[in-house]
Amino acid sequence: MMTHQQASELLAVFALDAVDSHEQELIEAHLADCPRCRAELDAHRDVAAALGNSVEQLPEGLWSSIASRLPPRPAEEPPPMPALLREAPASDERPAKRFHRPRPAALRTSRGRLVSVASLAVAAAAVAAVLAVNLVHANDQVSSLRQATPASAVAALRVPGHKVVDVESARHVELAQFVVVPSGQGYLVRSNLPTLSSAKTYQLWGVIDGRAISLGLLGQDPHGATFTLGGGSSRTATLGITVEPAGGSVVPTGTMLAAGTV
Amino acid sequence: MQQLGEVSDAQLVTAVARYSEVALAEVYRRHGGAVYGLARRVLNSPAEAEDVTQEVFLRLWNQPDRFDPGRGTLRSFLLAQSHARAVDAIRSLNARRAREAKDAQRTASAEYDMSHEAWDLALADKVSGALADLPEDERRAIELAYFDGRTYVEVAALLDTPEGTVKSRIRNGMRRMRAALVEAGVQGVDA
Repeated sequence: MMTHQQASELLAVFALDAVDSHEQELIEAHLADCPRCRAELDAHRDVAAALGNSVEQLPEGLWSSIASRLPPRPAEEPPPMPALLREAPASDERPAKRFHRPRPAALRTSRGRLVSVASLAVAAAAVAAVLAVNLVHANDQVSSLRQATPASAVAALRVPGHKVVDVESARHVELAQFVVVPSGQGYLVRSNLPTLSSAKTYQLWGVIDGRAISLGLLGQDPHGATFTLGGGSSRTATLGITVEPAGGSVVPTGTMLAAGTV
Repeated sequence: MQQLGEVSDAQLVTAVARYSEVALAEVYRRHGGAVYGLARRVLNSPAEAEDVTQEVFLRLWNQPDRFDPGRGTLRSFLLAQSHARAVDAIRSLNARRAREAKDAQRTASAEYDMSHEAWDLALADKVSGALADLPEDERRAIELAYFDGRTYVEVAALLDTPEGTVKSRIRNGMRRMRAALVEAGVQGVDA
C-alpha cells in the first residue's frame, strides 16, 4: 500500500515509465482511488507526450504488416480500403500471429464515453475516402494539404524518374501543374486557378479505377501544396480538381474541373 | 454531408471499436510516425521500433476502450503506449545487453531525424527549447529516464545522486516544462 504522499512524489517518474514494476503496481492501485493524482499524472503525461512527439517517416510495409494481423472484417464493415497502398516488400513481411479480439460486449462499458455510435458510419465513410493514398504520412490535418516551399517542387523536378502532371480543363487550358517523384510524393508546381471566395475551396483528388479519393484541400488560392500517392503502385492515377464547400467533401460534389494522368 | 475535417480522433477510435480497419488506418496515418519515432529513439533500432508500433496499433484495435478522450489526446495516449512498450523491451535482459553494445554507436549518431511535418517540427522546436532551458541537472535526469528508458533508481546511480533528489529533479523539471509549453501555446498540455 502506498500513501498519497509517496504516490504523489512518484507521479512524474511514473509518467516517464521510470519506475520498476513493483512501484508501478502500487502507484496504479493508488491512482484507482485518487482523482487528484490521476489529474496530476495526466498533466505529466502530456509533457511526456510532447517530449516524445517527434514524427519519423514510417517504414514502408509497416501498415501492411499491421493490417495483416487484423481479423477479417465483419460483413457490415465499411468498404475495404482502396488498393492503392504500398504492398509490403517480401523482406518486410513478418509471420502473421494469431490475434484474438474480445467480443464487443467487453467494449460496451466504454462506448458511453466515446462519441455516439450514430456518427460511426459517417466517420468511417469519411475516412475511407480520405485516407487511402495519404496513408504513409502522419499529419493532423485530414483535409488540408501540407504546404511546401517552391524549392521543394524544384527539387522534385530534379529527382530522376519524376513525372510532371499537367492538369488541364476540358478545353486543354492548363490550370495547374504537379510533379510526382517515384516515392509517391507530389508537389503543386504552379497554379492558374482563380481565387475562390472563402466559402469555397479547391480539392485535389486521385482517381483510380474510376474511384475518386481525396488527396486533400488546395484551399481557395492554391500554392505550395504537397501530397502523397502510394509509392510503388503500378496503377495509373488521374489527378483531378473540383471546387467544394470550404472544409471539403468526402466525395466530389463539383464538376471535375481539370484532370491529368500520373 | 460530413466534412473531412470533422472526423475527430475520438470518432475514429469509436469507429475502431466497431472493427473499422479504415479508421485504424487513419489513426495510423495521423499518429503512426510519432509512435514509431519515439520507439525508434528509445530503442535505437528500426526493427524493434516497428514491432512496438505494431503492438501499439494492435492493442488499440484490441482494446479501444483504454483510450479515454477525457484524459488527454489520442496522440498522448499512443505515445505513452509506445514509450511503455519500448521501455519494456529495453528492460528485458537480452535487449539490455544488445543495447549496451550499441551505446558507443548511439553516442556517435545521436541526431534524431525530426519530423518532416511542419507542425511537428514547430512543436519539436518548442519542446527542445523548453528542455534546453531547464536547469542542467533536471534536464539530464529527464533525458536519461525518458529517452534512455532508465528507472529513476538507475538514473540516481548513474548520476551518483540520491534517489529522492532524482525524483524531485524530474518532478520539478516536468512542471517547469509544462509551464514553458503552456506559455509557448502548445496544445495538449494546457488542459
